[in-house]
Amino acid sequence: MGDKIVIDARGSSCPGPIVELAKAYRNSKVGDTLELWATDAGVRADVQAWAQKTKNQIDSITEQEGKIVVVIKILNR
Amino acid sequence: MKKVLIVGGGAGGIILANSLDKKNYDVTILDKSDMQVFQPWFLYMAFEGKNKNISKPTVKLLNKGSKFIKEEVKTIDLDNRSVQTASNTYSYDYLVVATGTVTDTSSIRGLQEINSKFGDYHTNIDNSMRLWSNINSFSGGTLVLGQASPTCKCPPSPLEGILLAEQLLTRKKIKQKSKLVFFTPYPRAYPAEPINKIVEPIMKARGIDIYTFFDVDYIDTQKSSIYSIEGDEIHYDLPIVIPPCVGVKIEYKQDVLDQDRFVKADKYTMRIQGYDDAFAIGDATNIPTSKSGVTAHLQAKVVASIIEGQNVIFNGRTHCPFDMAYGKATFVIGSYTQPVVPYPPSAFKHFMKMMMAKIYWSSLKGTFDFMFDTYFKMTDPEKLNKKYK
Ligand SMILES: Cc1cc2nc3c(=O)[nH]c(=O)nc-3n(C[C@H](O)[C@H](O)[C@H](O)COP(=O)(O)OP(=O)(O)OC[C@H]3O[C@@H](n4cnc5c(N)ncnc54)[C@H](O)[C@@H]3O)c2cc1C
Repeated sequence: MGDKIVIDARGSSCPGPIVELAKAYRNSKVGDTLELWATDAGVRADVQAWAQKTKNQIDSITEQEGKIVVVIKILNR
Repeated sequence: MKKVLIVGGGAGGIILANSLDKKNYDVTILDKSDMQVFQPWFLYMAFEGKNKNISKPTVKLLNKGSKFIKEEVKTIDLDNRSVQTASNTYSYDYLVVATGTVTDTSSIRGLQEINSKFGDYHTNIDNSMRLWSNINSFSGGTLVLGQASPTCKCPPSPLEGILLAEQLLTRKKIKQKSKLVFFTPYPRAYPAEPINKIVEPIMKARGIDIYTFFDVDYIDTQKSSIYSIEGDEIHYDLPIVIPPCVGVKIEYKQDVLDQDRFVKADKYTMRIQGYDDAFAIGDATNIPTSKSGVTAHLQAKVVASIIEGQNVIFNGRTHCPFDMAYGKATFVIGSYTQPVVPYPPSAFKHFMKMMMAKIYWSSLKGTFDFMFDTYFKMTDPEKLNKKYK
Protein backbone atom coordinates (compact mmCIF):
# COMPACT_ATOMS: atom_id res chain seq x y z
CA MET A 1 0.00 0.00 0.00
CA GLY A 2 1.33 3.38 -0.90
CA ASP A 3 1.05 6.57 1.10
CA LYS A 4 -1.20 9.50 0.40
CA ILE A 5 0.73 12.74 0.17
CA VAL A 6 -1.04 16.09 0.12
CA ILE A 7 0.79 18.94 -1.59
CA ASP A 8 -0.68 22.33 -0.78
CA ALA A 9 0.51 24.68 -3.53
CA ARG A 10 -2.41 27.07 -3.30
CA GLY A 11 -1.40 30.63 -4.01
CA SER A 12 1.92 29.60 -5.44
CA SER A 13 2.52 31.56 -8.61
CA CYS A 14 6.29 31.77 -8.70
CA PRO A 15 7.77 29.34 -9.33
CA GLY A 16 4.38 27.59 -9.20
CA PRO A 17 2.53 24.40 -8.23
CA ILE A 18 4.39 22.20 -10.71
CA VAL A 19 7.56 22.81 -8.67
CA GLU A 20 5.88 21.47 -5.56
CA LEU A 21 4.65 18.47 -7.55
CA ALA A 22 8.11 17.75 -8.98
CA LYS A 23 9.49 17.93 -5.45
CA ALA A 24 6.95 15.50 -4.07
CA TYR A 25 7.49 13.15 -7.04
CA ARG A 26 11.16 12.94 -6.23
CA ASN A 27 10.36 11.72 -2.72
CA SER A 28 7.54 9.37 -3.73
CA LYS A 29 7.39 5.67 -4.56
CA VAL A 30 5.25 3.45 -6.77
CA GLY A 31 1.79 3.03 -5.24
CA ASP A 32 1.70 6.45 -3.57
CA THR A 33 -1.15 8.85 -4.22
CA LEU A 34 -0.27 12.52 -4.59
CA GLU A 35 -3.01 15.04 -4.00
CA LEU A 36 -2.04 18.44 -5.35
CA TRP A 37 -3.97 21.53 -4.28
CA ALA A 38 -3.59 24.62 -6.40
CA THR A 39 -5.30 27.86 -7.31
CA ASP A 40 -3.41 28.60 -10.52
CA ALA A 41 -5.55 27.42 -13.48
CA GLY A 42 -2.43 26.62 -15.52
CA VAL A 43 -1.93 23.61 -13.27
CA ARG A 44 -4.44 21.53 -15.29
CA ALA A 45 -2.43 21.51 -18.51
CA ASP A 46 0.85 21.22 -16.60
CA VAL A 47 -0.07 18.11 -14.63
CA GLN A 48 -1.42 16.42 -17.73
CA ALA A 49 1.82 17.05 -19.61
CA TRP A 50 3.74 15.96 -16.53
CA ALA A 51 1.78 12.71 -16.13
CA GLN A 52 2.25 11.86 -19.79
CA LYS A 53 5.97 12.48 -19.62
CA THR A 54 6.56 10.65 -16.34
CA LYS A 55 4.06 7.85 -17.18
CA ASN A 56 1.97 8.41 -14.09
CA GLN A 57 -1.79 8.45 -13.84
CA ILE A 58 -4.16 11.29 -13.11
CA ASP A 59 -7.17 9.89 -11.25
CA SER A 60 -9.12 13.13 -11.11
CA ILE A 61 -9.02 16.88 -11.43
CA THR A 62 -11.78 18.70 -9.54
CA GLU A 63 -12.42 22.29 -8.61
CA GLN A 64 -14.32 23.74 -5.67
CA GLU A 65 -14.50 27.42 -4.84
CA GLY A 66 -11.31 28.13 -6.71
CA LYS A 67 -9.39 25.26 -5.14
CA ILE A 68 -8.19 22.83 -7.80
CA VAL A 69 -7.50 19.31 -6.54
CA VAL A 70 -5.50 16.92 -8.69
CA VAL A 71 -5.22 13.30 -7.60
CA ILE A 72 -2.26 11.46 -9.08
CA LYS A 73 -1.39 7.81 -8.79
CA ILE A 74 2.33 7.06 -8.92
CA LEU A 75 2.87 4.12 -11.32
CA ASN A 76 6.38 4.92 -12.36
CA ARG A 77 9.24 6.13 -10.22
CA MET B 1 12.42 43.31 27.98
CA LYS B 2 11.34 40.50 25.63
CA LYS B 3 14.20 38.48 24.21
CA VAL B 4 14.25 37.94 20.43
CA LEU B 5 16.73 35.30 19.32
CA ILE B 6 17.55 35.18 15.61
CA VAL B 7 19.32 32.09 14.29
CA GLY B 8 21.16 33.03 11.09
CA GLY B 9 22.37 36.52 10.29
CA GLY B 10 22.03 36.54 6.51
CA ALA B 11 19.82 38.88 4.52
CA GLY B 12 16.64 37.94 6.45
CA GLY B 13 18.16 37.81 9.94
CA ILE B 14 19.96 41.15 9.60
CA ILE B 15 16.91 42.98 8.23
CA LEU B 16 14.79 41.57 11.04
CA ALA B 17 17.28 42.66 13.73
CA ASN B 18 17.53 46.11 12.17
CA SER B 19 13.74 46.45 11.98
CA LEU B 20 12.98 45.70 15.64
CA ASP B 21 12.88 48.54 18.14
CA LYS B 22 15.85 47.82 20.40
CA LYS B 23 14.41 50.02 23.15
CA ASN B 24 11.70 47.43 23.65
CA TYR B 25 13.39 44.23 22.51
CA ASP B 26 16.60 42.51 23.48
CA VAL B 27 17.82 41.25 20.08
CA THR B 28 20.55 38.63 19.59
CA ILE B 29 21.76 37.05 16.35
CA LEU B 30 23.55 33.71 16.39
CA ASP B 31 25.47 32.83 13.24
CA LYS B 32 28.19 30.27 12.57
CA SER B 33 29.92 32.81 10.35
CA ASP B 34 30.72 36.44 11.15
CA MET B 35 30.96 37.40 7.46
CA GLN B 36 28.08 38.00 5.07
CA VAL B 37 28.36 37.22 1.37
CA PHE B 38 26.37 38.89 -1.43
CA GLN B 39 25.28 35.65 -3.11
CA PRO B 40 23.67 37.13 -6.27
CA TRP B 41 27.18 38.08 -7.42
CA PHE B 42 28.16 34.37 -7.74
CA LEU B 43 26.46 34.59 -11.14
CA TYR B 44 28.83 37.28 -12.40
CA MET B 45 31.86 35.58 -10.89
CA ALA B 46 31.03 32.30 -12.61
CA PHE B 47 29.96 33.62 -16.03
CA GLU B 48 31.91 36.87 -16.39
CA GLY B 49 34.89 36.29 -14.12
CA LYS B 50 34.07 39.43 -12.14
CA ASN B 51 35.81 38.66 -8.87
CA LYS B 52 35.24 41.61 -6.58
CA ASN B 53 34.98 41.69 -2.81
CA ILE B 54 31.44 40.56 -1.94
CA SER B 55 31.91 39.86 1.76
CA LYS B 56 31.30 42.09 4.76
CA PRO B 57 31.52 41.53 8.53
CA THR B 58 28.01 41.01 9.95
CA VAL B 59 28.56 43.43 12.83
CA LYS B 60 29.11 46.23 10.31
CA LEU B 61 25.63 45.57 8.91
CA LEU B 62 23.80 45.64 12.22
CA ASN B 63 22.37 48.89 13.49
CA LYS B 64 23.09 49.82 17.08
CA GLY B 65 21.55 47.75 19.85
CA SER B 66 21.59 44.18 18.49
CA LYS B 67 24.04 41.61 19.84
CA PHE B 68 25.94 39.30 17.53
CA ILE B 69 27.36 35.96 18.67
CA LYS B 70 29.45 33.77 16.38
CA GLU B 71 28.32 30.25 17.23
CA GLU B 72 26.82 27.42 15.21
CA VAL B 73 23.40 26.28 16.37
CA LYS B 74 23.13 22.52 16.79
CA THR B 75 19.74 21.91 18.40
CA ILE B 76 16.45 23.77 18.73
CA ASP B 77 13.79 22.72 21.25
CA LEU B 78 10.66 24.74 20.55
CA ASP B 79 8.62 23.35 23.47
CA ASN B 80 11.28 24.43 25.96
CA ARG B 81 12.28 27.64 24.13
CA SER B 82 15.86 26.50 24.06
CA VAL B 83 18.57 26.89 21.39
CA GLN B 84 21.84 25.03 21.76
CA THR B 85 25.27 25.60 20.27
CA ALA B 86 28.37 23.50 20.97
CA SER B 87 29.15 25.53 24.06
CA ASN B 88 26.00 27.36 25.20
CA THR B 89 22.25 27.18 25.64
CA TYR B 90 20.10 30.23 24.88
CA SER B 91 16.51 30.92 25.84
CA TYR B 92 14.07 33.29 24.15
CA ASP B 93 10.64 34.87 24.17
CA TYR B 94 10.59 34.95 20.36
CA LEU B 95 12.68 32.81 18.04
CA VAL B 96 13.27 33.55 14.36
CA VAL B 97 15.01 30.94 12.23
CA ALA B 98 16.74 32.49 9.20
CA THR B 99 19.37 29.88 8.40
CA GLY B 100 19.10 29.92 4.60
CA THR B 101 19.97 26.81 2.59
CA VAL B 102 22.96 24.71 1.67
CA THR B 103 23.73 22.88 -1.55
CA ASP B 104 23.79 19.11 -1.25
CA THR B 105 25.86 17.14 -3.75
CA SER B 106 25.55 13.85 -1.86
CA SER B 107 22.04 12.82 -2.87
CA ILE B 108 22.75 12.41 -6.60
CA ARG B 109 25.28 9.87 -7.84
CA GLY B 110 28.16 11.48 -9.74
CA LEU B 111 27.27 15.02 -8.68
CA GLN B 112 30.00 15.36 -6.06
CA GLU B 113 32.60 14.34 -8.65
CA ILE B 114 31.56 16.82 -11.33
CA ASN B 115 31.00 19.52 -8.74
CA SER B 116 34.53 19.29 -7.38
CA LYS B 117 35.88 19.38 -10.92
CA PHE B 118 33.67 22.01 -12.57
CA GLY B 119 32.20 24.02 -9.69
CA ASP B 120 28.77 25.66 -9.50
CA TYR B 121 27.35 29.12 -8.78
CA HIS B 122 25.04 28.49 -5.82
CA THR B 123 27.46 27.37 -3.12
CA ASN B 124 30.29 29.81 -2.45
CA ILE B 125 32.97 32.04 -3.97
CA ASP B 126 35.47 29.19 -4.54
CA ASN B 127 32.99 27.08 -6.48
CA SER B 128 31.91 30.09 -8.55
CA MET B 129 35.51 30.93 -9.48
CA ARG B 130 36.20 27.27 -10.29
CA LEU B 131 33.24 27.32 -12.65
CA TRP B 132 34.58 30.50 -14.27
CA SER B 133 37.97 28.95 -14.93
CA ASN B 134 36.24 26.00 -16.63
CA ILE B 135 33.92 28.18 -18.73
CA ASN B 136 36.71 30.56 -19.60
CA SER B 137 38.92 27.75 -20.88
CA PHE B 138 36.08 26.00 -22.73
CA SER B 139 37.00 25.77 -26.38
CA GLY B 140 33.87 24.17 -27.82
CA GLY B 141 31.63 21.13 -27.37
CA THR B 142 28.41 20.68 -25.44
CA LEU B 143 27.77 22.99 -22.52
CA VAL B 144 24.92 21.67 -20.41
CA LEU B 145 23.28 23.67 -17.63
CA GLY B 146 20.38 23.01 -15.30
CA GLN B 147 19.19 22.55 -11.76
CA ALA B 148 19.50 19.06 -10.30
CA SER B 149 16.32 19.23 -8.25
CA PRO B 150 13.07 21.19 -8.26
CA THR B 151 14.13 23.47 -5.40
CA CYS B 152 16.56 26.14 -6.42
CA LYS B 153 17.48 29.36 -4.72
CA CYS B 154 16.57 32.34 -6.94
CA PRO B 155 14.31 30.68 -9.58
CA PRO B 156 15.57 32.75 -12.56
CA SER B 157 19.22 31.94 -11.80
CA PRO B 158 19.47 28.73 -13.89
CA LEU B 159 18.24 30.61 -16.98
CA GLU B 160 20.44 33.59 -16.21
CA GLY B 161 23.37 31.15 -16.21
CA ILE B 162 22.66 29.66 -19.65
CA LEU B 163 21.93 33.09 -21.18
CA LEU B 164 25.18 34.54 -19.82
CA ALA B 165 27.06 31.44 -20.99
CA GLU B 166 25.67 31.95 -24.50
CA GLN B 167 26.73 35.60 -24.44
CA LEU B 168 30.25 34.62 -23.39
CA LEU B 169 30.65 31.95 -26.07
CA THR B 170 29.37 34.36 -28.70
CA ARG B 171 31.75 37.09 -27.59
CA LYS B 172 34.66 34.67 -27.54
CA LYS B 173 33.64 33.49 -31.04
CA ILE B 174 33.35 29.82 -30.05
CA LYS B 175 29.59 29.61 -30.35
CA GLN B 176 29.83 27.88 -33.77
CA LYS B 177 31.87 25.11 -32.19
CA SER B 178 29.47 24.73 -29.29
CA LYS B 179 26.07 23.34 -28.44
CA LEU B 180 24.16 24.86 -25.55
CA VAL B 181 21.70 22.71 -23.65
CA PHE B 182 19.40 23.80 -20.85
CA PHE B 183 17.53 21.22 -18.78
CA THR B 184 14.81 21.73 -16.20
CA PRO B 185 12.48 19.53 -14.13
CA TYR B 186 9.59 21.83 -15.10
CA PRO B 187 7.26 21.65 -18.13
CA ARG B 188 8.89 24.73 -19.69
CA ALA B 189 12.09 26.71 -19.49
CA TYR B 190 10.72 29.05 -16.81
CA PRO B 191 8.05 27.46 -14.60
CA ALA B 192 5.75 30.50 -14.52
CA GLU B 193 4.11 30.74 -17.97
CA PRO B 194 4.01 34.56 -18.34
CA ILE B 195 7.79 34.79 -17.98
CA ASN B 196 8.34 31.67 -20.05
CA LYS B 197 6.53 33.32 -22.96
CA ILE B 198 9.19 36.00 -22.88
CA VAL B 199 12.28 33.91 -22.28
CA GLU B 200 11.67 30.81 -24.40
CA PRO B 201 11.67 32.64 -27.76
CA ILE B 202 14.85 34.44 -26.69
CA MET B 203 16.51 31.09 -25.92
CA LYS B 204 15.42 29.60 -29.25
CA ALA B 205 16.68 32.64 -31.13
CA ARG B 206 20.04 32.24 -29.40
CA GLY B 207 20.24 28.55 -30.31
CA ILE B 208 19.81 27.08 -26.83
CA ASP B 209 18.24 23.58 -26.74
CA ILE B 210 15.69 23.08 -23.98
CA TYR B 211 15.03 19.74 -22.25
CA THR B 212 11.91 19.97 -20.07
CA PHE B 213 10.76 17.44 -17.44
CA PHE B 214 14.39 16.57 -16.84
CA ASP B 215 14.79 15.81 -13.15
CA VAL B 216 18.35 14.57 -12.58
CA ASP B 217 18.53 10.95 -11.43
CA TYR B 218 22.30 10.35 -11.70
CA ILE B 219 25.40 11.41 -13.58
CA ASP B 220 27.66 8.88 -15.27
CA THR B 221 31.05 10.57 -15.21
CA GLN B 222 32.66 7.79 -17.31
CA LYS B 223 30.19 8.31 -20.13
CA SER B 224 29.91 12.09 -19.49
CA SER B 225 26.13 11.83 -19.42
CA ILE B 226 23.35 13.06 -17.17
CA TYR B 227 20.26 10.84 -16.76
CA SER B 228 16.81 11.95 -15.64
CA ILE B 229 14.18 10.25 -13.47
CA GLU B 230 11.93 10.57 -16.53
CA GLY B 231 14.33 8.41 -18.54
CA ASP B 232 16.24 10.87 -20.78
CA GLU B 233 19.98 11.27 -21.29
CA ILE B 234 22.12 14.33 -22.07
CA HIS B 235 25.77 14.09 -23.02
CA TYR B 236 28.09 16.87 -21.80
CA ASP B 237 31.56 18.26 -22.29
CA LEU B 238 31.07 21.02 -19.74
CA PRO B 239 28.38 20.23 -17.13
CA ILE B 240 27.01 23.05 -14.98
CA VAL B 241 24.69 21.32 -12.57
CA ILE B 242 23.14 23.37 -9.78
CA PRO B 243 23.09 21.02 -6.78
CA PRO B 244 19.86 20.38 -4.87
CA CYS B 245 19.23 23.07 -2.32
CA VAL B 246 18.20 21.87 1.15
CA GLY B 247 17.83 23.21 4.68
CA VAL B 248 20.84 23.34 7.05
CA LYS B 249 21.65 20.56 9.51
CA ILE B 250 20.06 21.66 12.77
CA GLU B 251 18.34 19.10 14.95
CA TYR B 252 14.79 20.16 15.89
CA LYS B 253 13.32 18.34 18.89
CA GLN B 254 9.89 18.73 17.30
CA ASP B 255 8.60 17.56 13.95
CA VAL B 256 8.81 20.85 12.04
CA LEU B 257 11.00 19.95 9.04
CA ASP B 258 9.97 18.67 5.62
CA GLN B 259 11.92 16.03 3.69
CA ASP B 260 14.44 18.57 2.44
CA ARG B 261 14.98 19.94 5.96
CA PHE B 262 13.00 23.13 5.24
CA VAL B 263 11.14 24.51 8.24
CA LYS B 264 7.37 24.16 7.91
CA ALA B 265 5.98 27.64 8.41
CA ASP B 266 2.72 29.46 7.79
CA LYS B 267 2.85 31.21 4.44
CA TYR B 268 1.17 34.39 5.76
CA THR B 269 2.65 34.81 9.26
CA MET B 270 5.86 32.77 8.95
CA ARG B 271 5.02 31.14 12.31
CA ILE B 272 6.61 27.73 12.61
CA GLN B 273 3.82 25.18 12.37
CA GLY B 274 2.22 24.80 15.82
CA TYR B 275 4.09 27.66 17.55
CA ASP B 276 3.10 31.24 18.35
CA ASP B 277 6.51 32.36 19.53
CA ALA B 278 8.71 30.91 16.76
CA PHE B 279 9.04 32.05 13.15
CA ALA B 280 11.04 31.02 10.09
CA ILE B 281 11.89 33.42 7.27
CA GLY B 282 13.76 33.52 3.97
CA ASP B 283 15.30 30.52 2.24
CA ALA B 284 15.05 28.29 5.34
CA THR B 285 11.28 27.74 5.04
CA ASN B 286 9.02 25.48 2.99
CA ILE B 287 6.77 28.45 2.12
CA PRO B 288 5.66 28.15 -1.54
CA THR B 289 7.30 31.29 -2.89
CA SER B 290 10.70 32.01 -4.40
CA LYS B 291 13.82 31.64 -2.34
CA SER B 292 15.20 35.11 -2.83
CA GLY B 293 16.67 37.99 -0.87
CA VAL B 294 13.63 40.12 -1.64
CA THR B 295 11.31 37.51 -0.10
CA ALA B 296 13.57 37.23 2.97
CA HIS B 297 13.46 41.03 3.22
CA LEU B 298 9.65 41.31 3.02
CA GLN B 299 9.10 38.38 5.40
CA ALA B 300 11.54 39.88 7.92
CA LYS B 301 9.58 43.15 7.87
CA VAL B 302 6.29 41.31 8.46
CA VAL B 303 7.69 39.21 11.31
CA ALA B 304 9.17 42.31 12.99
CA SER B 305 5.72 43.93 12.86
CA ILE B 306 4.00 40.79 14.19
CA ILE B 307 6.44 40.59 17.12
CA GLU B 308 5.74 44.26 17.80
CA GLY B 309 2.04 43.43 18.06
CA GLN B 310 0.72 44.45 14.66
CA ASN B 311 -1.77 42.43 12.70
CA VAL B 312 -0.05 42.04 9.31
CA ILE B 313 0.61 39.25 6.84
CA PHE B 314 3.05 38.42 4.04
CA ASN B 315 1.21 38.46 0.70
CA GLY B 316 3.64 36.21 -1.17
CA ARG B 317 5.16 39.04 -3.14
CA THR B 318 8.13 38.09 -5.32
CA HIS B 319 10.45 40.43 -7.15
CA CYS B 320 13.29 38.39 -8.61
CA PRO B 321 15.69 40.13 -10.99
CA PHE B 322 16.30 38.16 -14.19
CA ASP B 323 19.38 39.01 -16.28
CA MET B 324 18.71 38.08 -19.90
CA ALA B 325 22.25 38.96 -21.07
CA TYR B 326 23.25 41.58 -23.66
CA GLY B 327 22.42 44.31 -21.14
CA LYS B 328 18.74 43.52 -20.65
CA ALA B 329 16.83 42.22 -17.66
CA THR B 330 13.35 41.80 -16.26
CA PHE B 331 11.82 41.04 -12.86
CA VAL B 332 9.65 38.09 -11.88
CA ILE B 333 6.83 39.77 -9.99
CA GLY B 334 3.83 38.00 -8.49
CA SER B 335 2.08 37.27 -5.19
CA TYR B 336 -0.22 34.69 -3.59
CA THR B 337 -3.19 36.30 -5.32
CA GLN B 338 -1.60 37.67 -8.48
CA PRO B 339 -0.08 35.52 -11.22
CA VAL B 340 3.41 36.40 -12.39
CA VAL B 341 3.48 39.51 -14.59
CA PRO B 342 4.66 39.18 -18.23
CA TYR B 343 7.09 42.01 -17.58
CA PRO B 344 9.10 42.89 -20.71
CA PRO B 345 12.90 42.96 -20.44
CA SER B 346 14.66 46.29 -20.85
CA ALA B 347 18.02 47.97 -20.44
CA PHE B 348 16.58 50.06 -17.62
CA LYS B 349 15.66 46.94 -15.62
CA HIS B 350 19.20 45.70 -16.12
CA PHE B 351 20.45 48.98 -14.73
CA MET B 352 18.11 48.52 -11.72
CA LYS B 353 19.52 45.05 -11.10
CA MET B 354 23.07 46.39 -11.14
CA MET B 355 22.05 49.27 -8.86
CA MET B 356 20.72 46.74 -6.36
CA ALA B 357 24.17 45.13 -6.23
CA LYS B 358 25.61 48.54 -5.38
CA ILE B 359 23.16 49.45 -2.64
CA TYR B 360 22.72 45.95 -1.21
CA TRP B 361 24.64 46.46 2.03
CA SER B 362 22.89 49.72 2.84
CA SER B 363 19.53 48.13 2.04
CA LEU B 364 20.14 45.60 4.83
CA LYS B 365 20.62 48.50 7.23
CA GLY B 366 17.26 49.96 6.27
CA THR B 367 18.74 53.09 4.68
CA PHE B 368 16.55 52.70 1.61
CA ASP B 369 13.35 51.43 3.26
CA PHE B 370 11.33 54.42 2.14
CA MET B 371 12.53 54.04 -1.44
CA PHE B 372 11.78 50.29 -1.42
CA ASP B 373 8.27 50.85 -0.09
CA THR B 374 7.54 53.25 -2.92
CA TYR B 375 9.21 51.03 -5.50
CA PHE B 376 7.29 47.92 -4.38
CA LYS B 377 4.05 49.88 -4.57
CA MET B 378 4.92 51.14 -8.05
CA THR B 379 5.60 47.59 -9.22
CA ASP B 380 2.54 46.08 -7.53
CA PRO B 381 1.68 42.90 -9.50
CA GLU B 382 -2.03 43.72 -9.71
CA LYS B 383 -1.26 47.06 -11.32
CA LEU B 384 1.35 45.62 -13.66
CA ASN B 385 -0.87 42.70 -14.68
CA LYS B 386 -3.51 45.16 -15.86
CA LYS B 387 -0.93 47.02 -17.87
CA TYR B 388 0.85 44.07 -19.49
CA LYS B 389 -1.94 41.51 -19.97
C1 LIG C 1 23.34 32.80 -8.02
C2 LIG C 1 22.36 33.44 -7.10
C3 LIG C 1 21.71 34.59 -7.51
C4 LIG C 1 20.80 35.23 -6.68
N1 LIG C 1 20.20 36.37 -7.11
C5 LIG C 1 19.32 37.01 -6.32
C6 LIG C 1 18.74 38.23 -6.72
O1 LIG C 1 19.07 38.75 -7.77
N2 LIG C 1 17.83 38.82 -5.90
C7 LIG C 1 17.48 38.26 -4.71
O2 LIG C 1 16.64 38.82 -4.00
N3 LIG C 1 18.04 37.10 -4.27
C8 LIG C 1 18.95 36.48 -5.05
N4 LIG C 1 19.55 35.32 -4.61
C9 LIG C 1 19.07 34.69 -3.37
C10 LIG C 1 19.54 35.35 -2.09
O3 LIG C 1 20.92 35.42 -2.04
C11 LIG C 1 19.03 34.53 -0.92
O4 LIG C 1 17.68 34.21 -1.13
C12 LIG C 1 19.12 35.26 0.42
O5 LIG C 1 20.45 35.42 0.77
C13 LIG C 1 18.36 34.52 1.50
O6 LIG C 1 18.51 35.11 2.74
P1 LIG C 1 18.38 34.27 4.07
O7 LIG C 1 18.52 35.24 5.18
O8 LIG C 1 17.18 33.41 4.03
O9 LIG C 1 19.62 33.25 4.05
P2 LIG C 1 21.18 33.57 3.93
O10 LIG C 1 21.43 34.95 3.46
O11 LIG C 1 21.77 32.45 3.16
O12 LIG C 1 21.68 33.51 5.45
C14 LIG C 1 21.66 32.34 6.23
C15 LIG C 1 22.61 32.54 7.40
O13 LIG C 1 22.42 31.47 8.34
C16 LIG C 1 23.67 31.08 8.85
N5 LIG C 1 23.56 29.71 9.37
C17 LIG C 1 23.32 28.58 8.67
N6 LIG C 1 23.29 27.52 9.49
C18 LIG C 1 23.52 27.98 10.74
C19 LIG C 1 23.62 27.36 12.03
N7 LIG C 1 23.47 26.03 12.18
N8 LIG C 1 23.88 28.15 13.10
C20 LIG C 1 24.04 29.49 12.95
N9 LIG C 1 23.95 30.12 11.77
C21 LIG C 1 23.70 29.38 10.67
C22 LIG C 1 24.59 31.20 7.66
O14 LIG C 1 25.95 31.29 8.06
C23 LIG C 1 24.09 32.48 6.99
O15 LIG C 1 24.75 33.62 7.45
C24 LIG C 1 20.51 34.69 -5.40
C25 LIG C 1 21.19 33.55 -4.96
C26 LIG C 1 22.10 32.92 -5.79
C27 LIG C 1 22.83 31.70 -5.30
